Amino acid sequence: MSAPLAGDSARGWSWKRFVVFAIIIATVVLALGARLFALQIANGGYYAGLSRENRLTLQPLASARGLIFDRNGRRLVENVPTFSIKVRAADLPLSQRQGVVQRLSVLLGMPAADIIEAVDRAASNRFDLVRIAKNVPEDVARIISEEHLSLPGVEVAVEPQRRYSYAPLVSQVMGYTGAVTREDLERLGPAGYLNDDTIGKAGVEASFEEILRGEYGVEEVERDARGEVLRVSRTLREPVAGDSLELTIDVDVQADAETALRWAMEVAGLQRGVVIVMDPQTGQILAMVSLPTYDSNAFAQGITTADYQALLETPGGPLKNYAISENFPPGSTFKLITGTGALQDGEMTDETVLRTAPYLSIGNYRYWDWNRRGFGPLDIYDGFGHSSDTFFYQVAGMLGIDRLAYWANQFGLGQRTGIELPGEVAGIMPSNEWKQRVMNQPIYPGEVYHAGIGQGYDSFTPIQMLNAYAALANGGTLYKPQIVRRVLSADGSLIQEIEPEVIQQLPVDAQVLETMRLASRRVLTSYHTWNLVDLPIVLAGKTGTAEYGVRDAKGRLPFHSWFAAFVPREPRKDPADPDGLEAVSRTDAELAVLAFAYDSNTTGNAATEIVKYFLQLHYDLRVDLRDRDLLVVDNLYGQ
Amino acid sequence: MGTLRAGAARLDLLGGRSTSGTWAHFDLQLAFYALALGVVGLLMAYTNSQGAPLAPGSVFTRGLMWFAIAMVLFTLAAAADFRWLRTFAWPLYGLNLALLILTIAIGSGVGEVSRWISIGGLQFQFSELAKILMAIVLAAYLSGRAGRLGSLTTIIGAAVLALPPFALVLMQPDLGTSLVFGAIVMGTLFLSGASLRWLLVAGAGIVAMVPVAWTFVLADYQKRRLISFMDPAADPLDSGYQLTQSQIAVGSGGIFGKGLTNGSQTQLDYLPVQATDFVGATLAEELGFVGCVVVLILFVALLWRVLLVGWRSRDGFGVSFAGAIASMIAFQLLVNFGMVLGIMPITGIPLPFITHGGASLISLAIGLGIIQSIAMRQGRAEW
Repeated sequence: MSAPLAGDSARGWSWKRFVVFAIIIATVVLALGARLFALQIANGGYYAGLSRENRLTLQPLASARGLIFDRNGRRLVENVPTFSIKVRAADLPLSQRQGVVQRLSVLLGMPAADIIEAVDRAASNRFDLVRIAKNVPEDVARIISEEHLSLPGVEVAVEPQRRYSYAPLVSQVMGYTGAVTREDLERLGPAGYLNDDTIGKAGVEASFEEILRGEYGVEEVERDARGEVLRVSRTLREPVAGDSLELTIDVDVQADAETALRWAMEVAGLQRGVVIVMDPQTGQILAMVSLPTYDSNAFAQGITTADYQALLETPGGPLKNYAISENFPPGSTFKLITGTGALQDGEMTDETVLRTAPYLSIGNYRYWDWNRRGFGPLDIYDGFGHSSDTFFYQVAGMLGIDRLAYWANQFGLGQRTGIELPGEVAGIMPSNEWKQRVMNQPIYPGEVYHAGIGQGYDSFTPIQMLNAYAALANGGTLYKPQIVRRVLSADGSLIQEIEPEVIQQLPVDAQVLETMRLASRRVLTSYHTWNLVDLPIVLAGKTGTAEYGVRDAKGRLPFHSWFAAFVPREPRKDPADPDGLEAVSRTDAELAVLAFAYDSNTTGNAATEIVKYFLQLHYDLRVDLRDRDLLVVDNLYGQ
Repeated sequence: MGTLRAGAARLDLLGGRSTSGTWAHFDLQLAFYALALGVVGLLMAYTNSQGAPLAPGSVFTRGLMWFAIAMVLFTLAAAADFRWLRTFAWPLYGLNLALLILTIAIGSGVGEVSRWISIGGLQFQFSELAKILMAIVLAAYLSGRAGRLGSLTTIIGAAVLALPPFALVLMQPDLGTSLVFGAIVMGTLFLSGASLRWLLVAGAGIVAMVPVAWTFVLADYQKRRLISFMDPAADPLDSGYQLTQSQIAVGSGGIFGKGLTNGSQTQLDYLPVQATDFVGATLAEELGFVGCVVVLILFVALLWRVLLVGWRSRDGFGVSFAGAIASMIAFQLLVNFGMVLGIMPITGIPLPFITHGGASLISLAIGLGIIQSIAMRQGRAEW
């Protein structure tokens, strides 16, 4: 049945086409064969040599991560060389795997199962190095290095590791670096991260990752048949070191703030507290303390599961920066907004007098003043100075919820300040629209009262509250809180000066803000804050006692304490200005400070005590007005 | 000559004794060469299984599974009467377009590319199947134009037929596979007897389109590959590096190779896609010049048998289809192996039988099964 190729087929197709087709195929195959011959036989020895002895591979060249300094140039973190043990699965034959893992387990003192898990977990590509141990002691690293012949696929790498010189003092701001996760790698994609890379995980280390990181270089190396590097043949791309940062933080101020906060928390047995110090003229953060906290070094060295679990279970939650990452009811510190709004909207003047009472009624509900007696007729200075609730219920009623929300938003409350730290939350300022959207109900009149004194749905972050008072202190400029003020190159030269950023100029008359600053001074001179006024420096501010949660059997609520204050320039008391009225009427404040004591339930305002102690330390005052009696817990909520 | 069976085509699957005459014409040589190439593919899957070939989900175990499926499909395609394909050419064309549109709509791939559809955890590349479906439609169309094959209309008609699937594959984007489409169309037209003059004109037109394609069609990574083919040093970090390493792998194989699983270039870090596009490098490194020549001879023998089936075929369908399959295999062999040897630019075209990939193997099995079906029925057709 086989047809001869000579002559056209009976069906009429051309045998010539078949022949040409066959010739083309033959040519193709011959060309391939010739090329094979050239590569494998004619030049086979050359390529075999390249392959056997001098095989070229590319390998990344690590870049140095940028350093971080405080505003006075103190180095907060350095890169120290440490030994890591890495495994390249492809170089570790399966038959030897058991033995190698056993030996590593003995040398490193870690369970064999952990080693196997580490290798397999990251095995998206068997040719990538996987880090199985960090921070290995030098003698162990040396032994592993010497045993490399019996430990195929195992490499000892010298890796820079972050060492935080001022941890845990500045850990919440600095954050830490850690190993990239598979999710990070997927998210970052082609940004040049390797399997065994590190990345900023929290704080400035995370938010300024791109600046700090630098760029990998690439070098071509010749490796022998066992994969060991013979020599670097050439550098294809130099690594680029990361840039350094100079923070706005002053570690001395930070230390004073932490000392003050720790002291009060210890005396009153508090689990959580925040102190933030800001330069109100620029929005630069001088100190930001959130306790409890963690040690950045524990993370940089590779935290153990047990230690991490312990952190997760520590009361108070040390992993969160409460200055920015959680919102709380602001209590009476919010009265700044209510008062300013009513004055600016013309609902009242600084001469308007309102009658205060034990309580106001709406229907059957009674809205009590905090002292349960009322203060009689008050103007804005005394209403704010005594923090009269019935006074501000009335003022809130004049404004209505939407004007109240408008003014809160003008002061930056209920929205992120934009501080360049990860995890900032926005908080809540209720309005008709908000309540309708979230609860599908209108706002009730009593809720307007509560909103006006910083209760009810009002909930803001400590940084928002401080920023509002900083704007009051500087005459109405709302700054974006700043955490980094300079970008420096690896050799320390200035790359970029980061200028303060203005969110907005408050639409409030200078006169109105001056009234509110004087009213803030009245808070002290009226002895509402007890002996705080006796400090030898002038300051003004506002307390807040924010109830939250649910009432216990005796009708009590637990509460947080707040105190937001500012200190004018040259704050020493001047005999010519005995009440400090001239000083606070100026807009040259040099310091704004806020303390927040979570779930404090103390006789006095714990936050005021914290600020008092901080100022004593910061201004090196020769007095000690701390009053431990004010830190006695008397509201034994739930008992 | 055996029994003459007049009338319409029928499935011989369950025909029992009456089909024995047909199976007597089964082309054993063709089946043997294909099987041998498939076995080479399995060897490569074994050696590329990174030390654990028998682990579930390894390249080798999946290769075995696809091999078995391919054998079944080959047998089914051979048993089925190929003349049904002419009847169903248009529905098959519609199916082809539908699968390709589906791939773009829901497919996945690396980056912004959609090439595969996942079925039960397995990725399937429908553009491979599209080549066979394209060959069927083309053969059906050309066989319907018997006597008018020499006119320009034939070429235009074939181009119009090929354009939608070509464009859909290009949109994935998969330049390599769309080039295979082009090769299939050109080769089939040539073998079927289309006008040589107009084919040359069309070929010149395509060459003239290259600058336009460079500007508007090619993605940056494709341009980089072409540039680095011209000058491997231009992009030593990426595609040029692959080319260099591939040549080192091939060259270091020498006459007899380093033996299965002993290729240090391909088993270690040097060649990233040693199981797929650069499988030829593994082959050359581990089996050496001798192994490669054996594989090339197997390809030549297989192509010889395919063309012989076409030559003996009684109708235009057989000739055109054989031309399409031969063009496809020869073109992919040239482009893939040429790429491994550094004489062709990098494109993602698989090496038939040997590149690990279910869709490629299955498409080949179906295509060769149809060739087999043509061989088995060539003497029996009464048109």
